[in-house]
Amino acid sequence: MVGVKDLAYYAVHPTQLRSIVQWKVWHNPVHERDESKESASLKRCFEFLALTSRSFVAVILELHPDILVSVAVFYLVLRGLDTIEDDMTIPIVKKEPILRDFHNIIEQDGWTFTENGPDEKDRQLCVEFNVVIEEYKKLKPAHQAIIKDITKRMGNGMADYVKNAEFGINNNGVNTVQDYEKYCHYVAGLVGEGCTRLFVEEGKANPALLKRTDLYESMGQFLQQVNIIRDIKEDLDDKRRFWPKEIWSKHVDNFEDLFKPENKEKALAASSEMILTALKRADDCLFYLAGLKEQSVFNFCAIPQSMAIATLEVCFMNYDIFTRNVKITKGDACQLMLESTQNLQLVCEVFKRYTRKIHKKNNPHDPNFLQISIACGKIEQFIESIFPSQKPPVNEKNPVSAEEAARLKQEADESKWETIYMIAAVVGTVFFVSSLMLLCAWLAGARFDIAFVQVKQQFAQLLGTSGSSNTSNSSAALDTKSSPDHGEL
Amino acid sequence: MPSTRILVTGGTGFLGSEIVSALVTAKVFSITALDLNPPSLNTPSYPSVSYVRCDILNPSALSSLFKAARPEIIVHTAAVNLLGAKRYGTEKRGKEEGAVMRVNVDGTRNVLEAARACGAKGVVYTSSVTVLVDELEGDFRNADEGWGIGRAGTVYGESKTIAEQLVLASNEGGYKTCALRAAPIFGPRDPITIPTIHSCIAHGETPFILGTGTNLQDYVYVANVADAHVLAIHNLLGPGTAAGEAFFITNGEPVTVRDLCLAVWKEFDHFPRFELRIPERMAWWVGWGVEWVSWATGRKATFCRGIVWDATKARYVSIEKARRVLGYEPRVRLPEALAISCQYFKRQFSEQAKR
Repeated sequence: MVGVKDLAYYAVHPTQLRSIVQWKVWHNPVHERDESKESASLKRCFEFLALTSRSFVAVILELHPDILVSVAVFYLVLRGLDTIEDDMTIPIVKKEPILRDFHNIIEQDGWTFTENGPDEKDRQLCVEFNVVIEEYKKLKPAHQAIIKDITKRMGNGMADYVKNAEFGINNNGVNTVQDYEKYCHYVAGLVGEGCTRLFVEEGKANPALLKRTDLYESMGQFLQQVNIIRDIKEDLDDKRRFWPKEIWSKHVDNFEDLFKPENKEKALAASSEMILTALKRADDCLFYLAGLKEQSVFNFCAIPQSMAIATLEVCFMNYDIFTRNVKITKGDACQLMLESTQNLQLVCEVFKRYTRKIHKKNNPHDPNFLQISIACGKIEQFIESIFPSQKPPVNEKNPVSAEEAARLKQEADESKWETIYMIAAVVGTVFFVSSLMLLCAWLAGARFDIAFVQVKQQFAQLLGTSGSSNTSNSSAALDTKSSPDHGEL
Repeated sequence: MPSTRILVTGGTGFLGSEIVSALVTAKVFSITALDLNPPSLNTPSYPSVSYVRCDILNPSALSSLFKAARPEIIVHTAAVNLLGAKRYGTEKRGKEEGAVMRVNVDGTRNVLEAARACGAKGVVYTSSVTVLVDELEGDFRNADEGWGIGRAGTVYGESKTIAEQLVLASNEGGYKTCALRAAPIFGPRDPITIPTIHSCIAHGETPFILGTGTNLQDYVYVANVADAHVLAIHNLLGPGTAAGEAFFITNGEPVTVRDLCLAVWKEFDHFPRFELRIPERMAWWVGWGVEWVSWATGRKATFCRGIVWDATKARYVSIEKARRVLGYEPRVRLPEALAISCQYFKRQFSEQAKR
């Protein structure tokens, strides 16, 4: 329910309320799923989708029917994998083989998993995993192959990570920035690859995107890194750390020290380097979005990216991330969704707006001040390169453009004469038709001489000055009376 | 050792000496450095380089020198510039303005003629982004080499435009020329960029932000410009795809003017204590007023509309063409480059303080 606090908030932020209302009232899904034709297991899959994903369910449900089920099943398969990886109550000896073999498990009819701890929030998905498998098997073989391949690689990557964590090789969580990006690659970069392959398979994206591995990698990395930055406190409470030691150790000796109030400046400096690392991916993401062909696919990819850059802005120079979970407001989220479901230019505007906000908060005391400034400049330059805001001026001294200028002048001349001809034609037609009408009237016996005198008199009357007007008035009256037969004309 | 003979005009200057260093490092060139001045005390000089003294405004001396050195490629960096408010003075063409035109235009003409006469294969000319962006009241966002030039409003920009056109027009057949339009150059021994920004600290000007503070501008580290010149030499001697072409050379990292200044001040441990934004319009009127006052009183002012424009307009370009044709990539990134440069000036200033 809407609380008093919310009411007060929207009273002072009417634009946010406006965005919410606009989104709720005006947004029509690009595609709507047809529930009547869905099997029981598919319906259950969509229920799980709604339960397990807060942020993705809406965008997935609006996807084009060609890829809707595939993306949903892909999501649930990875969510199942993630639920097993995350669960600290499962011993490593049990966990590792499942992770490594998960790409085969998804082909075993009726497979379920009931050994998740009771607190695992998505445990029910594993308990009823057979419905996901059932739907997976109904997918096109090409889609199955993509999902299987990604699942295999992600499962192995996760198994490696879990093993390292277990044996204390990286008891500080993640050590280097390289490790951090490797982790993000397994849990997100691969998702980017899988989705891109599905889109291209169905002709919803430019096949060139498959060759630009760096672009889809950045799509996943950007989302994952932003989540890791935002969730630092939540992850600490769950005894997980994803911020690489390479970054935080520049400022504090122990990871927990980031959360001590006396280290506020140091914590912010560490967070700004994390944000910088993510920000460097932003231009790649915009480039990727340029390769999408279908509106629902564009929305599916663009909304999370817009949310991510906005989240990054909220987290930047914000000490609250170390004390609680920071979120963008609902109004901003609706505004972002409105702007991310139209075209690339609007999404670029969103990125530019938030980049400038980040830039404004940038602080020269921060060790990454100049780097962040450069990253912001790079995003702006990239946007300018795809949507130039200026037209290059014509070079008068350049022979090529001199020709161009001559051509333009000739065009201008031609169009001038066209206008003159047009006016002449109109005037000529009016004159001809009027003459014809006057001729007919004359043939029918119109007395133009009388009409002419009358007009002259009435005109004089209108302008009429006192002295001379009297006589002409009376004569006019006489004239009209004397020619009643012709008065009609 | 078979080596290509290169002659660098302005070879002991800020950029010229850096180009000489880069050529020495490449080890495949025999180098003549031509300048009005001998290498100054804190510039590196090399025994393998022959330093000759000559004024590029003296055609006969120049041509006999070129004939003796028989360079295959000439790198023409010698030029003069006007600093401070004088940079913008276009109404009154005084002695100094005349000198800029003479050195930058006539000097270039002399160099081109001498180069052709001595049978050189090509000329690499150091042009400047000012040929485009010194149309002071304009914004330039991500401009490329296709943007028309010829509207520069400063004497310097105008002189560089004419000289660049002379250079590129002389390109034909076996005599290849190209122009490298460098962004404002900074580095150790840099006579303009960093000293100017640093001087704001002493003048107490650091809290003031002209305009929105969101306009991006380009800069370039001196060693990167030197790299670009070496690449251009290789190109003219090799595939020759750069012949007759102009290229923007920047660090490829546009930042706001304000941020560059803040970063420089930070290197000198200075942080503005507060910030005061002055809207562009207001600053423009103040500049206008100061210009009139200085005109009426005949005294030189330190502030004018040109400074407002330089501070508030977007001036950044794309270096894709240099990347594609020359294989240029800024080697020293902006943060590192600023740190190196400011370290040099810190040492300089502390030595000056000791004396």
